[in-house]
Amino acid sequence: MTESGASLESLRALRLHRRREALKTALIHGALILACAACVYPLLRILAVSLRPGDRIISTDLALIPQGATWASYVKVFTETNFLFWLWNSLVITVATSVAGVALASTAAYAFSRFKFPGAKLGLSLLLGTQMLPAGMLLLPLFLMIMRLRLMNTYLGMVIAYSVSSLPFSIWILKGYYDTIPRSLEEAALVDGTSVFGAFYRIVLPLSTPALAIAFLFNFTQAWNEYLVARVILTDSFKYTWTLGLFDLQGQYLTQWGMFAAASLLVTIPVMGVFLYSSKWLLTGMTLGGVKG
Amino acid sequence: MLAPVAQVLQFALLIGAFVAVLEGWLHYHFKYHERNWFIPAAVLGTAALVVFAALWTAGGGVEAGRVVSLAVGTALAECLAALFFKHVVKGRHSLPFMLLAPAMLGLAALIAYPMVFEVYLAFHDLKLTTIMAWSRTGDLPFVGLKHFRKVFTSSPLSEVGFWELSLRTVWWTFINVFFHVAGGFVMALLLNSVTRFKGVYRMLLIVPWAMPQVVAVLAMRGEFHSQYGFVNIMLSKTAAWLPFLKDVGVGPVQWLGQHPFLTCTIINVWLGIPFMTVVILGGLQSISRHYYDAASIDGASAFQQFRMITLPLIRPVLAPAVTLGTVWTFNNINVIYLVTGQAGGTEDADILVSALYKAAFAFYRYSYSAAFALVVFLMLFVSSMVWLKWSKGSESLYD
Amino acid sequence: MASVTFKNVTKKFGLNEVLHDVSLQIADQEFLVLVGPSGCGKSTLLRMLAGLEETTEGEIHIGDRLVNHLPPRSREIAMVFQDYALYPHMTVAENMSFGLRLKGIDLGEIDRRVLKAANILHIEPLLRRTPRQLSGGQRQRVAIGRAIVREPKVFLFDEPLSNLDAKLREEMRIEIAKLHQKLATTIIYVTHDQVEAMTLASRIAVVNAGQIQQVGAPTEVFGRPENVFVAGFIGSPTMNFIEGELARAGGGLRFKTAGVDVPVMGGPAGGPPSSLDRSGTPAVLGVRPEAIHIDRGDAPADGAVPAEVEVVELLGYRKNVHLKVGAAGAKVLASVGAAEGSEPGEKVSLRFDPAGLHLFEKATGRRIR
Repeated sequence: MTESGASLESLRALRLHRRREALKTALIHGALILACAACVYPLLRILAVSLRPGDRIISTDLALIPQGATWASYVKVFTETNFLFWLWNSLVITVATSVAGVALASTAAYAFSRFKFPGAKLGLSLLLGTQMLPAGMLLLPLFLMIMRLRLMNTYLGMVIAYSVSSLPFSIWILKGYYDTIPRSLEEAALVDGTSVFGAFYRIVLPLSTPALAIAFLFNFTQAWNEYLVARVILTDSFKYTWTLGLFDLQGQYLTQWGMFAAASLLVTIPVMGVFLYSSKWLLTGMTLGGVKG
Repeated sequence: MLAPVAQVLQFALLIGAFVAVLEGWLHYHFKYHERNWFIPAAVLGTAALVVFAALWTAGGGVEAGRVVSLAVGTALAECLAALFFKHVVKGRHSLPFMLLAPAMLGLAALIAYPMVFEVYLAFHDLKLTTIMAWSRTGDLPFVGLKHFRKVFTSSPLSEVGFWELSLRTVWWTFINVFFHVAGGFVMALLLNSVTRFKGVYRMLLIVPWAMPQVVAVLAMRGEFHSQYGFVNIMLSKTAAWLPFLKDVGVGPVQWLGQHPFLTCTIINVWLGIPFMTVVILGGLQSISRHYYDAASIDGASAFQQFRMITLPLIRPVLAPAVTLGTVWTFNNINVIYLVTGQAGGTEDADILVSALYKAAFAFYRYSYSAAFALVVFLMLFVSSMVWLKWSKGSESLYD
Repeated sequence: MASVTFKNVTKKFGLNEVLHDVSLQIADQEFLVLVGPSGCGKSTLLRMLAGLEETTEGEIHIGDRLVNHLPPRSREIAMVFQDYALYPHMTVAENMSFGLRLKGIDLGEIDRRVLKAANILHIEPLLRRTPRQLSGGQRQRVAIGRAIVREPKVFLFDEPLSNLDAKLREEMRIEIAKLHQKLATTIIYVTHDQVEAMTLASRIAVVNAGQIQQVGAPTEVFGRPENVFVAGFIGSPTMNFIEGELARAGGGLRFKTAGVDVPVMGGPAGGPPSSLDRSGTPAVLGVRPEAIHIDRGDAPADGAVPAEVEVVELLGYRKNVHLKVGAAGAKVLASVGAAEGSEPGEKVSLRFDPAGLHLFEKATGRRIR
């Protein structure tokens, strides 16, 4: 065997290897594109339905941009339903819930992060434990309490029902973040002349704005997308949140499919934008509590 | 537009005032526990506060007898609290407890108290016929274990029984979590092996998770419509195109009518994969390249590398995610209710929690569903304790 | 300006007592360095003075004022932390003025003081930056500046130089020494680095295992260590220790162990009687590496110790010679001039400079004579 023969062979092997690699990459990309299509397609279908003209809303057409595409469904959502009311109700309830939730969580998380006190460990475990409660288990007594307090169909009733549901998670997220702030910063502030609480709100809180924002977003998306509790507490169509309104639109009559699709897109696009933008941090926060060890 | 703003403001003021009173009360108890006027002042002040609050919220129209009993009751309770602060707490840990108090009170009022209330409900009889009387007088007939017996003997809905529901719940949880993790692994490994368009793929792949669940589920539900849904359109087109498939039974399926459980499962798998993908991808990316280099020098095949390096190193990320995912799936009412929840809907897809929700809010069997909820809670509690013990997951979960 | 007094101070974390009955008096304008190995309790002592840790028992006074129950803000102290603890969300100027703003001092006065401190520390160009944009040395200066502007009665430094590299550490050490001369306030400085302690302190307190081992001027602590711990901790390279026994001989006292026989006290003229009584007690002989002379070849003078060279390390201006001494093969390090030659494996004899000899009781570790 001569030297040139050997190198020729290795060249061929290399080419073969390259070709196999290229094929592998193409296959992977193919699989990923397929998966992406499966994930996005339902959304695109909603878009298609929302653009269909009134006489063809129910059809077996699979075109993404239907023939005779029109904005009519969007117009009808605003003119023929209480969509704006629903959005406004959702917004008021969600913002109030998130503000209250973050405010409560920020101080509680600080206590867990910085102080040693009897019951601290137990408290943290119990907080995690609340995540195990069957959904709907607490809803019944909560519903009865809210009914007896005459808070059915009110914002206050909804905010009360929502306010603590995201609290455990928010506390864990914030505690995890506080833990990363060096204690010496607060000690420096104490020596500089603040009280212990002053060190918290002058130093720790401003430094935690990213985590506070994440906790706020978490509370916000939870409350914004909630359906089951709202279904029970809100019965007046003017007090509906958008999730209830949407469900009723989609519910009985297929004729409203177009309006449902249009309304869905209108609420989904902004929420999804925020979510996609913040998902990285949200996930870090969500898994921080559990994954740290 | 002004009314809601006013309502929100009022709400904020209410919460603010409430927190202020709470913190003031705590501050007094922590700070002045050593003074000799501590207990009398505490008892008088607290009783006055509670009576004032009661009169104010009730708008004045309260009987004198009730006010007196409220005042005496509060005074007694405050006496105990004051003694506790004086002799047990002694002013220690004042700051952490004051920081915690609002959140803990909220959790107590909205999680602990409802749980106690639920136990009360389960032993009494609250249903559509007794609810009016109850909301007037607050009294309910005691029925003992009747509802607990009924949980195991009768159906929470109209046909499906407790044991069938339990089995279905276990099956539902198992296959969903299995496909979430398996799908998540496949997606994450695929994502991790490409460099181009990675960000785009990642963003598109989490769309089902990012969409509001109500929209996602309702949209998917539409795609399973027997006539106009994407799935059946595709099936009938395929059958028309390749006639021999028709003989094997390929053709439109009554998804919602005849296979609601399968439909719900497919939808929920679709919904849940993105979360696992992102978690697993994060874990994969945190594994140092060096381990794989070392392993391939040692002669490990791709599969061996996956088994010997990827799996063990991803465990700390995966274990809590799987635990959480299991609990979420077990507790998932949303998908099943949104797909099958309308009037006259099927109960062939229901699991424990969705049956519970329907029993309470579609069939108005309040006390029965309270008992049902407690049984479900016990099952979940026991199994998660066993799981935590067994997997030692508690260490990584509880820091 | 104020003095500081620790009176029978004890600190417990749970059941674990980390400081045992510590008493210490620090005069006004003194530069006191608390030095000791990590975990010895020196930082805890400083943090108790700052009010960052509670005092379990005992009293702490700043000036005439008992401060045990005062919060840090009322103690009129300033502290420089090991990790500098600059507030990341504030500029340098805001960092420095934070304490003054809290006190509500008027803005003109604040600016005046901040500029003055910045001037002293040469950080005027940095005032508008945030801590993230600063180097380690600059952060250190800002941290010191933040302490200066408050014009405290006592400055506390908690291992301020340990996060800097060797060269910067030397520079900052000199800066701090200058600062003390300029400000003339009481400074309490915690470090584990005995070189910092020796160069900066007007007095050193050596701490170990929750107790103060010795307090004194640097020369005193170096020249007359009270016990084996202090002797071993202060001085670099570390003092050599040889275990043996005291024996009376010819009116003087000799230290003996197999292969070693050194006169340690008195000559033929005799030493103090109380010392003579110790003959027969087990003892530890401490010899500073600089106090060892190496004679090549045999020189059977009185007190010469035969030894074998094991390793020679050249440091440039000096040489570290590692030796094996006596029958037991005790390890001894000698620090000699770079020009002196000795080869590994060579048999030599050692002479100990009497001024560099220290004698300790073996049982208690306490100094004899």
